[in-house]
Amino acid sequence: MEKCQFCGKPATVHMTQIVNNKTTVVRMCSECAAKHGLFDKDGLPFAMLSSLGEALFAGLKHSQSASGLICSRCGCTPASFRETGRLGCPNCYKDLKLLVDGIVESSQKGAVHKGKKLKSHAFVDGGDWNTLSGGKGDDGRRKKMSSAERLDALQEQLDDAIREERYEEAAKLRDEIRKLKG
Amino acid sequence: MAMNDFGKKLFHDAREAKETMPAIISSRIRLARNLADAKFVKYACRGDLRAVANMCEKALSSCKILDGNSVLNVCDLQEYERTALVERHMCSQEFIVDTNESRLLFTPDHTVSIMINEEDHLRIQIFRYDLNFRAMFDRINAIDDHLADNLSIAFDEHYGFLTSCPTNVGTGMRASVMMHLPALVITKQINNLILAVQKLGFVVRGLFGEGSEAKGNFFQISNQQTLGLSEVDILSRLTQIIKSIVDYELNAREIVKKEKIVWLYDNIGRALGILRGCYSIASSDAINGISLLMLAADLGYLRGNLRWDLNQIMMKIQSSHIQVLENKALGSAERDIKRAEILRNFFAKIPDLKFE
Ligand SMILES: [Zn+2]
Ligand SMILES: [Zn+2]
Repeated sequence: MEKCQFCGKPATVHMTQIVNNKTTVVRMCSECAAKHGLFDKDGLPFAMLSSLGEALFAGLKHSQSASGLICSRCGCTPASFRETGRLGCPNCYKDLKLLVDGIVESSQKGAVHKGKKLKSHAFVDGGDWNTLSGGKGDDGRRKKMSSAERLDALQEQLDDAIREERYEEAAKLRDEIRKLKG
Repeated sequence: MAMNDFGKKLFHDAREAKETMPAIISSRIRLARNLADAKFVKYACRGDLRAVANMCEKALSSCKILDGNSVLNVCDLQEYERTALVERHMCSQEFIVDTNESRLLFTPDHTVSIMINEEDHLRIQIFRYDLNFRAMFDRINAIDDHLADNLSIAFDEHYGFLTSCPTNVGTGMRASVMMHLPALVITKQINNLILAVQKLGFVVRGLFGEGSEAKGNFFQISNQQTLGLSEVDILSRLTQIIKSIVDYELNAREIVKKEKIVWLYDNIGRALGILRGCYSIASSDAINGISLLMLAADLGYLRGNLRWDLNQIMMKIQSSHIQVLENKALGSAERDIKRAEILRNFFAKIPDLKFE
């Protein structure tokens, strides 16, 4: 008898997923399947398009290789991604690029967007979160970055920029670090 | 107890296209979108979420396609009311778990529903009972354009639409078709088919009982990849796959008719007997019976266009729908009795089977 990969009870639900020729099988008991939205209470299949599978197959192992990164905008780290299975903000795609590219490589067809484009768009740089909620602060659901953490993150980005000879960006980062240090 | 306003809205289902196609139950397209200047939902505080919800609601209120829509605050609903929305495929299971500032907007005909503050700020969904991704995409794309004109949407030249999970990035689009494949299950071809479809980069989610005995014969096929392919690419590939699966299923039905005709008549006949005569029935038994009668309708053993009504009855006998209908929470034994009553009434009016 196969066991549920979540709790060890006998498994009755089997999900197979093949991504880029790698097969993953997830076995679950009906309770765990229900918990993840795969059954209704009487065992009727519904909502089969659950994001459970997506998170399971997202190649979470990449969160280790990318450790040390932090989003300068929201404070999301590879560790918080591992915990939630989700990124923190649009800027994470920039600051946690290594993590994102690892996941993309293991789950996506290509690395570059080929679909619909937006007429006006931009990676929003250095905007202010507070404009959104009228300056309302932390309620514990997110981790706020201390200025020391932010300095570390910026320093790391600066090192990267210099290593990769992106001098214009490096200059901007250096200015920002100076400003933070006061 | 009479149904409340929520129940009336839920059961008022005027989805126009009453056309059905053999082997197809319904199809959906879902787009994930986020605001450029806000944290993703999992990391946002309540104030942020409220601001996001208000901005989204305002932007959506001026969208012509959504005229006459209703907006529900999910936290105001009873648990079984929330689950009924999931049973009706109007929102996801995740959406009803953490309901902080979660709002659901839907059109009077239920064809478009928009989740605000699911794991992405916006999840726009369009629904149909047959297969026509082109018409669906035109409509959902127009809603998306309207949003982009009125909100600043997170988009990047390289990654496309930015989503809270990188497995949705790019188009942010998930298209899916719910299929009814009894003959492929009976002829034991289903596992090979699932493997073949998965090798093409699409996901098949079916639910299996003990061993590999499928329950209810329902499978959902959806795209896995969202980056590196255009929307049209994804939709046309999926359409092709679905059409060939329909062909395989119809072929398998011919084989069943040739080789297992007694088995087929016997099982369909018994199923109708159970559904007409039951006084307490578990949903899995009900769903297996309805599945066989859907097959009978497709094969012409039931007169009249009953496939549509069978789709509807399958929706109505789900646990939470029964509770919405009764306007109160019910235990499983009470649900089984109520479910049997609904089925008895419905199948009493169905004409007798006419085998060839
Ligand atoms: Zn389990
Ligand atoms: Zn971030």
